[in-house]
Amino acid sequence: MSALPTATTGRPEPARTDAAHGRAATGARVEFRSLRRAFGPTVALDGLDLTAGPGELLALLGPSGCGKTTALRVLAGFEQPDSGEVLVDGEDITRIPANRRDAGMVFQSYSLFPHLNARDNVAFGLRVRKVSAAERHATAAELLDLVGLPDHGGRFPHQMSGGQQQRVALARALALRPRVLLLDEPLSALDAKVRLSLREEIRRLQLSLGITTIFVTHDQEEALSMADRVAVLNAGRLEQCAPPAELYERPATAFVAEFVGTMNRLPGHLTGTGSVEVAGATLPVDGEIPAGGGPVDVLIRPEGIRAEADPEGTATVVSASFLGSVTRVLLDLPDGVAAKADLPSRDAADLLPGVRARVTPVPRPVLVVPAAPVREPSAGKAAA
Amino acid sequence: MTVLHPSAAPGPGAAAPTGRKAAGRTRRRRPPRAWLGALPLLVFAGLCFGLPAGALLYGALTRTDPAAGTTELTGEHLSRSLQGPYLTSLTGSVQLSALTAALATVLGVLIAQAVVTSRRGALRGAVLTASGVLANFGGIPLAFAFVATLGISGVVTEIGHLDALGWNLYSFTGLTVIYLYFLIPLMVLVVVPALDGLRPQWREAALNTGATTWQFWRHVGLPVLAPSLLGGFVLLFGSAFAAHATAAALVGGSVPLVTLKIADALSGNVLVGQENVALALSLDMIVIAGLVMAVYLPLQRRSSRWLR
Amino acid sequence: MAALTPVSRPPVSGPPVSTAPVAAPVKPARRRPRYWRGAVLTVAGLYFLTPLVSSFVFTVHVPNQGVTFAAYSGILSADGFTESLFLSLSLACATIALALLLVVPALVAVRLGPPRLRAVVEIVCMLPLVVPPIALVTGIATVLRWGPDHFSRTPLYQTFLAVQNESFPVVLVLAYTVLALPFVHRSLDAGLRAVDVPTLVEAARNCGAGRLYVILRVILPNLRSSLAGASFLTLALVLGEYTVASLLGFRPFAVWIVSVSGAEARMSVAVSLLSLLITWALLLVLSRAGTGSSAAVPAAGPSTAPAATTPAASAPAASAGGPSTAPTAVPGKE
Repeated sequence: MSALPTATTGRPEPARTDAAHGRAATGARVEFRSLRRAFGPTVALDGLDLTAGPGELLALLGPSGCGKTTALRVLAGFEQPDSGEVLVDGEDITRIPANRRDAGMVFQSYSLFPHLNARDNVAFGLRVRKVSAAERHATAAELLDLVGLPDHGGRFPHQMSGGQQQRVALARALALRPRVLLLDEPLSALDAKVRLSLREEIRRLQLSLGITTIFVTHDQEEALSMADRVAVLNAGRLEQCAPPAELYERPATAFVAEFVGTMNRLPGHLTGTGSVEVAGATLPVDGEIPAGGGPVDVLIRPEGIRAEADPEGTATVVSASFLGSVTRVLLDLPDGVAAKADLPSRDAADLLPGVRARVTPVPRPVLVVPAAPVREPSAGKAAA
Repeated sequence: MTVLHPSAAPGPGAAAPTGRKAAGRTRRRRPPRAWLGALPLLVFAGLCFGLPAGALLYGALTRTDPAAGTTELTGEHLSRSLQGPYLTSLTGSVQLSALTAALATVLGVLIAQAVVTSRRGALRGAVLTASGVLANFGGIPLAFAFVATLGISGVVTEIGHLDALGWNLYSFTGLTVIYLYFLIPLMVLVVVPALDGLRPQWREAALNTGATTWQFWRHVGLPVLAPSLLGGFVLLFGSAFAAHATAAALVGGSVPLVTLKIADALSGNVLVGQENVALALSLDMIVIAGLVMAVYLPLQRRSSRWLR
Repeated sequence: MAALTPVSRPPVSGPPVSTAPVAAPVKPARRRPRYWRGAVLTVAGLYFLTPLVSSFVFTVHVPNQGVTFAAYSGILSADGFTESLFLSLSLACATIALALLLVVPALVAVRLGPPRLRAVVEIVCMLPLVVPPIALVTGIATVLRWGPDHFSRTPLYQTFLAVQNESFPVVLVLAYTVLALPFVHRSLDAGLRAVDVPTLVEAARNCGAGRLYVILRVILPNLRSSLAGASFLTLALVLGEYTVASLLGFRPFAVWIVSVSGAEARMSVAVSLLSLLITWALLLVLSRAGTGSSAAVPAAGPSTAPAATTPAASAPAASAGGPSTAPTAVPGKE
């Protein structure tokens, strides 16, 4: 406790440098080791192994029910794993009660105590530890300052907006100087604009404090824009854990490829010798090649497809949406296949609906998966 | 009356101008004569509630000289209603209501918490339905059920030989036991939504900031519930205070209760000419019930804001 | 709990994580089984079941004669039973009809009309809560006495006689409607809160429906469960009402039970028990008839939830949504 004020003294600016020094040492290393947790027949965690380095912001990303929240709650001590362990700085904390875990948590929403004002909410943990009132007030004021609400100490939760409430919740989570910060979809209940600004704010604060942070989200844009590394979870297992760019450019599995970003799924043929023929082009295959050869699906991002107006072309433009520097063009390919292509807007000027076009993949290594028996994923949606 | 008439009678009249104004502003939304739909209710309330209430107030505060035929304002009835046996009956009612309401609050919360924390939905449904029925199981039937159970020749009295232990249903204690029978279910109904409103995040946030379960209840749980609990207590107090039938069927005067006194005075069981004191006692009750409501409503407003 | 913590967590401030494992037998975070819950529910169950069971035993077991169901078989032929029950039921029907006819249009008007009307209607409907039934009777009795005293030579006197007609005392319907107002208002208000009346009305009128048609065919069907709830509460209130009726000298069901209790103690208990079972059955029927399993149970079902969750709702109604049943029948009935 005594160390707390030094870390967050003064206004945000000096505090940042101070804190960066003070905190860098405290950034803890968090490890999940083969965590398993089942709720009745539902397996939420199926042998999860994952590590967050000191001071890192690690995002847990996945569809709902993939186990990301369970992992966070196991770390916070609200859930017990059936097997496996959680380590913080090498110590097994799996059996330690939640109230002695030293991990500050921000919940999805409405977790502020309704009968306390912002200041008392922030100082709650200090009050539990019998810190003197003066010190509590000082600390709460500093933290509220840090989250950009210096004048809101006297407000009650119902008098604050959702974004303000989450800032206070963040301050409360930081009040005890936890070694790990846990964020459980803290932005999902906010509207788009607030979400955007608060996400930058959280990242700035996290960097300045150097605190190891685990961030659960189902919003890939949020995960990719904020995190040092993103762990994609599916059905209780880790699919891939990598920095955002790598996740996008070199997805390790088909699930990641299709879950992160937009992906076209085009029919192709393996030609042997590690390449695949798709839409009239032959491209090298990246990663695993499905056994047996034959028909496969080729995964190509919209920016990996080029299209130009050509009366001889086999594709038809369905629609074109102007998105600023790029224009996304939906195309009908032969055999009922649909594709999306992101083109520089100036190249897409003549691709009006109904126009014939020629489609060529950019010659880059592509991922290949066994052909889906029924065609309905991303490409199908585009057609609709 | 001063309170009642203005609200009841000029209601529609007062509403009319606003109606026109509002209609002008948002014509699409507000048909100009929409308030006419409320007119029958307001007239009815003025006639069937306002009139008796006015008569009550008038009778409690005036004295008519039969010989001269003159009527004058007097505090005589009120002051008589606050003396001697009448005062005893008032304090008796207040004591019984406060005791039963306090007991029922504690016991009701325990039962409600047991139901809310249970993972079995069937248990919850059963307890809530039972509470809905039992809270309505007041009055005469309740009194007779207890006579059959704990009365002089009641089943439990005979099995347990309670009369030898000095048990008497027709007493303050006996009434307490009976009143709890409908007050506890009432409290369960009142407090279950409040307990449901206690978000699991609060407990987790408290644990997360180092609080023990006990500290959570002390610093968060109870303070957040306090308005609901107090509001529930006040409501139970009001119910017990206004109760008449159960006691009337049972005791017949051995426990001093204000409702029994009023009934006696009204049905001429005592001296003739007691009607005005009955009216004054009724006025006393209304004042107390009004205070109860004045406490209850703001509490309820606060808790609904916290527990939304 | 408070005593445990300091022991196992020596320096309050330090990184608890590192110290905790040292204090070897750390209590696992898993929940302990909750014995208290079983204990509480068992005791409560005993308290609430005992009177019911012993009432039944009392009615069928006559000392020195063994088990007999005479108390039940004699009910129907008992003197005054059918008359009083019929009177109570017809009073209940009239009260329900009157209360709904008054409150439904008022609440719809409140939603369509000026905002201030809402507060007025709410206050008018809540005021009877402040006046205990016995106080209302004293007021009514006073007014009724004016009849012979002041109006005996005017045509109004006929009205006074008419409302006090022994075979169907209209005055009781009026009094019961006043007592039922708060509960009917709460139940319907909670139901209406789930319905966006102005939009529904506009949508229906846009499809060419007239106003009356809108109310009958659009609004009311959406209120089914709260109408059922309000009717149930009113019915329970009227069937059990003793204070007003006995003090005004009428003889509906509850008064009849008391009057036979002296001579037929067993029968009065039997009838009491039956009336509870009938209430119970009605409640179950209603909850099935409503939207879902427990929807119509005014206290237990979803009707609670919307009320509790609508923050803007003005307090008395909002708050009461849940407890609605509760305060509901009790004060009136007692």
